[in-house]
Amino acid sequence: MSVVTEVSQNGQKLTISIKGRFDFAKHQEFRESYENLQPKPESFEVNLRDATYLDSSALGMLLLLRDHAGGENAEIRLTHANADVRKILAISNFEQIFDVA
Amino acid sequence: MADTHLDRDVLSALQEVMEDEYPVLLDTFIADSEERLRVLRKAEDATQLMSAAHSFKGSSSNMGAVRLAELCDELEQRAKEKSPVGIEKLVGEIDGEFAIVRPLYEAERQRSLAE
Amino acid sequence: MIAVQSSFESLTILIAEDSAADRMLLSSIVRRQGHAVLTAANGAEAVQAFEQQRPQLVLMDAMMPVMDGFEAARQIKALAGETLVPIIFLTSLTESEALARCLEAGGDDFLAKPYNQVILAAKIKAMDRLRRLQATVLEQRDQIARHHDYLLNEQRVAKAVFDKVAHSGCLSAPNIRYLQSPYALFNGDLLLAAFTPAGDMHVLLGDFTGHGLPAAVGAMPLAEVFYGMTAKGYGLSETLREMNSKLKRILPVDMFCCATLLCLSFQRRSVEVWNGGMPDGYLHSIASGTRTPLTARHLPLGVLSPQTFDDRTQVFPMAVGDRVFLLSDGVIDTCDANDQLFGIERLERVFAANQQPDALFEEIEQALRDFRGEARDDVSMVEISLVEAAQLSPPAPVYSDSGQSCPLDWSVSFEFRAATLKRFNPLPYLLQLLLEVHGLRAQSGALYSVLAELYSNALEHGVLGLDSSLKRDASGFARYYQERNARLDALQDGYVRVNLQVSPKGEGGSLTIQVEDSGKGFDVAQVMDRPLDGVRLSGRGVSLIRQLSREARWSDDGRSACVEFYWEALA
Repeated sequence: MSVVTEVSQNGQKLTISIKGRFDFAKHQEFRESYENLQPKPESFEVNLRDATYLDSSALGMLLLLRDHAGGENAEIRLTHANADVRKILAISNFEQIFDVA
Repeated sequence: MADTHLDRDVLSALQEVMEDEYPVLLDTFIADSEERLRVLRKAEDATQLMSAAHSFKGSSSNMGAVRLAELCDELEQRAKEKSPVGIEKLVGEIDGEFAIVRPLYEAERQRSLAE
Repeated sequence: MIAVQSSFESLTILIAEDSAADRMLLSSIVRRQGHAVLTAANGAEAVQAFEQQRPQLVLMDAMMPVMDGFEAARQIKALAGETLVPIIFLTSLTESEALARCLEAGGDDFLAKPYNQVILAAKIKAMDRLRRLQATVLEQRDQIARHHDYLLNEQRVAKAVFDKVAHSGCLSAPNIRYLQSPYALFNGDLLLAAFTPAGDMHVLLGDFTGHGLPAAVGAMPLAEVFYGMTAKGYGLSETLREMNSKLKRILPVDMFCCATLLCLSFQRRSVEVWNGGMPDGYLHSIASGTRTPLTARHLPLGVLSPQTFDDRTQVFPMAVGDRVFLLSDGVIDTCDANDQLFGIERLERVFAANQQPDALFEEIEQALRDFRGEARDDVSMVEISLVEAAQLSPPAPVYSDSGQSCPLDWSVSFEFRAATLKRFNPLPYLLQLLLEVHGLRAQSGALYSVLAELYSNALEHGVLGLDSSLKRDASGFARYYQERNARLDALQDGYVRVNLQVSPKGEGGSLTIQVEDSGKGFDVAQVMDRPLDGVRLSGRGVSLIRQLSREARWSDDGRSACVEFYWEALA
């Protein structure tokens, strides 16, 4: 499984870990990982430690998550990105709307 | 004696399939076989012999003439090996075997027409 | 999933057998099983019967006179083409070599003599299933091919429509060189260029997420906004805001458009840049040889809401001959046979090795070709040079009215106060108003340039109190514009007044433009004493105004400017 999820004890935080290439092939899995959670978590983390690559459809998927999580008020952290992934996040300036740790 | 020459089960299966055409089938086989015997007697080389024996073998087995089919098979093998020893004798045996089964087929034909 | 019916279907079966009795027997068996029967006594008859009647299945005796079963099978398979016609060999052959011959000849199965009806029925059924499977596969393949053709046609139509929209621009201007695949649009790549009424040039290099029609469809509303607003004289920031809110509104959440926008001003000798998510562009200064990267500081278009969208641009000075390069990520991502990326380092090496600025564009193209060996279809590249304003001839705008109703004798006054100055650009409206006067249309370029210059003087030097001498070098330029934005954000008081007066004069007429500001003024005499020249970066654009208009006067210590235009009778 290349998209692994973990919900915190109190259901307040969802961590989604991506393994391998973060691209269009993961579209459905990624959406399913957060779409139907009840109650909706208050904060989200996308763990990119094992993500090797990010393309524009992955950026689109992050935007979908952001929209689901409240849009401008969403609390989403992108963590442990490697140098290549960080570079893509930097060029697209996604650091302005996601908390990149 | 008649059992090893003609398989009666095969004949009844044939009758069931052919229905009204059964007598025609028997006639056709008899006519075919006479022609094949002629070819066998006059055959000039191993290929002709093999081919005729093979063909005769096929239809004899279909028609339940067990011993006849066996003899044809033996002739086919001999002809393939190209050993002329005993070929003439074998042809003679085939001739003889057909002479035995032929009246049996004709009787069968009469019997089916009378039904 | 392919569904094959299992219910009984009656076939036409060809029986090729030289023994009459066997032939008769087999025909009866097959007919009893519900099928129609064709017969042949040798291989040649079999082939002929197949050609004329096209049965679905063949029972073939191996040994036959005239033409044997093997040859007949080969010929029948050839005649059948891509349709599967199963051939079941009838044989009393037992040796494996003979059996192999049957397979090689195209046989699909065997039936031994003496014939077993049950086995025959089972084999016919199995072969028929295969036959129908093959037929289904071929039908589906043909269906797919047809759909593919429809799709291609739809794309062609869409491209034709889009080309009309896209090519209303000025990509063919002499100072622009570009590389773009004809199918760039279907990779989401967009390249637009258009003149503003003042003769400046707006350029957009964009990259939509996704491929195919979804990406192309987003490009059309974007192009409409770009061309419409540029033609009316709107600046980059306003155009960006409008493009962003349009895309945000119409595109799905996960779609966006990375873009670099430029405004090149040949008169002011500067380039204004906004980069949202695109790779670095490069500003080459020919004199110093330096390369300034134009890095993305913004999110792509269509991501942020109008309230949070950042339309701030950067401004850099340019000299005649300087160029701006923009590239799509197709350049950096070009791969060779070993999946190595072309990458930024190789690009920089091409830049460094370049001796002749004019050849740089071709050198990049060549380097890509050498690296890859074949062209990629999503590489977009554009080079825009700053040339003498006189070298370009923007096309005359087309007006749709007849000229019967035209306001010839009127005046209007505006006062734009602090709150308005912060967030509103009145120039497009003022220009539209003036262009209602037909006599002025021929001079619309000069008109717009003068209005823009007067307004920006009044706002920046007058109301905001910025010192134009700050713009003497590149870093000063950057500081100037930062300071401009900061002071504008903080503005509480101040005004710019614009008065327009149009009156008939003989056969033609005159336009008087008066612009006043609430600032401290400047030493008019000192500035006017400087000789007219067009090279310096600063100087309140006074020379420009004097060059473009019939008369220009400053009064009230420089706080008030008055400019006149005249026109003769229209032909």
